[in-house]
Amino acid sequence: MSDKTQKKKKVKHPFNWLSMLMLTTIFQLISMMPVVFLTEEPNVEVVSVFGGFILVQWLYFICARNFASQRATELEIIAFALSGIGLVTVASVKPEYALKQFIAILIGLAAFIVLVAIMRNVEVISALRIPVAIGAVGLLAVNLVMAETVNGALNWINLGAFSIQPSEIVKIAFIFVGAATLEKLQSARSLTRYLIFSLGCVGALFLMRDFGTALIFFATFVVIAFMRSGDIKTIGLICTGAILGAGLIIYFKPYVASRFAAYRHVWELANEGGFQQTRVLSYSASGGLFGLGIGEGRLRHIFASTTDLIFGILCEEWGLIVGFCVVLCFAFVAVYALRIARHARSTVYSIAAVAAAAMILVQLALNVFGVTDLLPLTGVTLPFVSRGGTSMICSWALFAFIKSADIKTYPKLEKQMEE
Amino acid sequence: MNTVTKRAYVLLAIIIAFIGGLVFLAVSFFTQGGTWATHRVNGHLYSQGEIKNAGRILDRNGVILAQSKNGERVYNSDKNIRKATLHAVGDTYGYIATGAHTLCRDKLTGYSFVDGIYTLINTGSGSDVNLTIDAKLCANAYRYLDSRKGTVGIYNYKTGEIVCMVSTPTYDPKNKPEDIETNDKYEAVYMNRLLNGVFTPGSTFKTVTTVAALENIPDINSCTFECTGAHATAQGGQIICNNTHGKISFGTAFTKSCNSAYAQMGIGMGADVMTATVNSMGFGKSFSVSGVNTAKSRFDLKGAVDIDIGWASIGQYTTLVNPLHMLMIMGCAASDGSTPIPYFVSDSLYDVVGSVRTERLLQQTTASQLKTMMRNNVINNYGDSRFPDMQFCGKTGTAQVADEASHAWFTGFSADDSFPYAIVVVVENGGGGSEVAVPIASKIMKDLKNAL
Repeated sequence: MSDKTQKKKKVKHPFNWLSMLMLTTIFQLISMMPVVFLTEEPNVEVVSVFGGFILVQWLYFICARNFASQRATELEIIAFALSGIGLVTVASVKPEYALKQFIAILIGLAAFIVLVAIMRNVEVISALRIPVAIGAVGLLAVNLVMAETVNGALNWINLGAFSIQPSEIVKIAFIFVGAATLEKLQSARSLTRYLIFSLGCVGALFLMRDFGTALIFFATFVVIAFMRSGDIKTIGLICTGAILGAGLIIYFKPYVASRFAAYRHVWELANEGGFQQTRVLSYSASGGLFGLGIGEGRLRHIFASTTDLIFGILCEEWGLIVGFCVVLCFAFVAVYALRIARHARSTVYSIAAVAAAAMILVQLALNVFGVTDLLPLTGVTLPFVSRGGTSMICSWALFAFIKSADIKTYPKLEKQMEE
Repeated sequence: MNTVTKRAYVLLAIIIAFIGGLVFLAVSFFTQGGTWATHRVNGHLYSQGEIKNAGRILDRNGVILAQSKNGERVYNSDKNIRKATLHAVGDTYGYIATGAHTLCRDKLTGYSFVDGIYTLINTGSGSDVNLTIDAKLCANAYRYLDSRKGTVGIYNYKTGEIVCMVSTPTYDPKNKPEDIETNDKYEAVYMNRLLNGVFTPGSTFKTVTTVAALENIPDINSCTFECTGAHATAQGGQIICNNTHGKISFGTAFTKSCNSAYAQMGIGMGADVMTATVNSMGFGKSFSVSGVNTAKSRFDLKGAVDIDIGWASIGQYTTLVNPLHMLMIMGCAASDGSTPIPYFVSDSLYDVVGSVRTERLLQQTTASQLKTMMRNNVINNYGDSRFPDMQFCGKTGTAQVADEASHAWFTGFSADDSFPYAIVVVVENGGGGSEVAVPIASKIMKDLKNAL
């Protein structure tokens, strides 16, 4: 008996947050140095942004530990570490990006905290389900009407100083709505309704020609549908239908296929359709395992280097080891999410955590394997690391789904349940 | 509840697939990183498609043929050396696929999987590449070719090292001519004629027919042939000879280069036997010379009638020979019927240099008989004084080509064990082999002998 309690105690503290935070901070400080001293006179704005970032990071953990009794903060450590790498990279390419990216991290963090609070209560989730679904479809509809075409995709709304990418925000709603089901709703009818909602989202994205995001939504939909129904036959049918549909689209709209003409032929089309992929591969290999040094790379001068191609910058300047470690962090998060989902207090949370982790992994795969030509290049971002506000907010929000599935996040609730 | 949490394992499937993709990507970086990093798209190495920073390229004596100075690629100061070694060194834009600049990109840029091109970025230079060619000898051969199109190749048939590799037309990489794409003078200038050219071989092909006769006609050494100044075939048509030789033996037919006799040998053996033997000597095959795949020699008697077989047997008809392949046949004749595959990059990344041998192209007894016949040929026709102290063996060729002057050929080797070199000379539309190709071979072999 005493043996068992000892074991339990060990499991409770597998992770020393303070030493992890210190290590992360040291890594961040080291990586910030070359950026600060890249120019002859240190850029005051960049220095203050870096300082502010580290401050916010420490504040969060001190508050979370001491005032919110958070015992498990692995997710946040990873989120801050990745955001930090992204912030430093983005600032190293263009100092003007630094402040915007920092603000995006702050909004992301706020979204994370708010969403974790909302997700506390199943009743609240249930009540919000329909409005969120309607809001999401509405947002996409507005997007379709007033979006601007950026890089061939119609997924930006320009609001003066800021432009937002509604599809990123709808990602959060998509999981929220998908997970928000009660046991009694696990019926064919509720699945049909969700199917219609999903079709609406994926269809709108297709019309916007944002095929990458459409694919992310579809994959997430399949995961959620499986989690809810466990019906492999229906899901097989849906997938077959989707493949047929995609085939029809390619048949009737050849321009869709032509966007992916360079796939697996990038070296022959190195100055056409394979331009970005060949640069990513060539410069990534140039960096070797340890990188050429921050600021020493050349991929940074290529279009979209800080958004879609940022994995290549990491490999070239920070080294293949860092590049791969960043990607492996997400795999770790997915394993972590799986563990939490297995012991979640309700199916809502299981589904939310698994769907969020799946969505992140699929997006990551489309990004990393897309720029390295293992998959067609669809132009999606690398979560947390890529430059971009809505992408950053969405990344934090997805982590919130995983966080809220963990009962340790809500100490009072945990106590109640134990009693 | 329980079933739903079990379904969470769908995530595990995604994770495993994702990790699988990552492993594949890592392996791709490991196996193809060098090709990727040294590709023309890499701005660290190339500027507007031109290679800037890379290691030095040196000849066998340490003469610098190309190096990087202050971000610029600088060639040897001697214009003749620059032009003569162009096809071995290659250009910085990669037009010349056979050059070290292209073949040895990994090494020149100092790429390694662990460090990438970090060394290059920090020192401005990668690793050196050593060639087996002798730059001075190449420059001499270039001068002897005297602005005619053609090629001179010399290699050590014991080690496989190519010491001379010149292909003309060429140009000065320091001042690339502006009319290079339009001026006929620069026809196929980017091609290394020794490795990638194919030419009608004319009488040098009689060495090949001789091998076929020795290996297929049992009493060939006692055979005699009739030459009336031409050989008429049964179905009509005739093969003209260079002279009226009358009754002529096999050995004399080689020395006199009698077309009639050789046409009769070929027709007598027939298309199938000829084709089988010729193919066993490496026709229709490509060899990897420091990573360059050589052009295939061609011998095709499909649908050929007697007159065609006759012409083909004396190196006409559709027969084409790659000069390096001819050089390798010489190397085989000089030794026991096989040769190390020639190379010109001493620390090649592609092959374990010198240790890769061809399979036997000639039978050992055939090789020694051919050697004797070629030795007699030099003594009787060109004179030993042309190749002093070399026990030289050789054969000329004057290959007729449509509407233009003949290609002048000479190919041979030194049978002296202490001087184991074989040579091939081709002068496109140069005229007679004895008048044009032999003097070049004579001078360059003497230069080589003096240089050692």
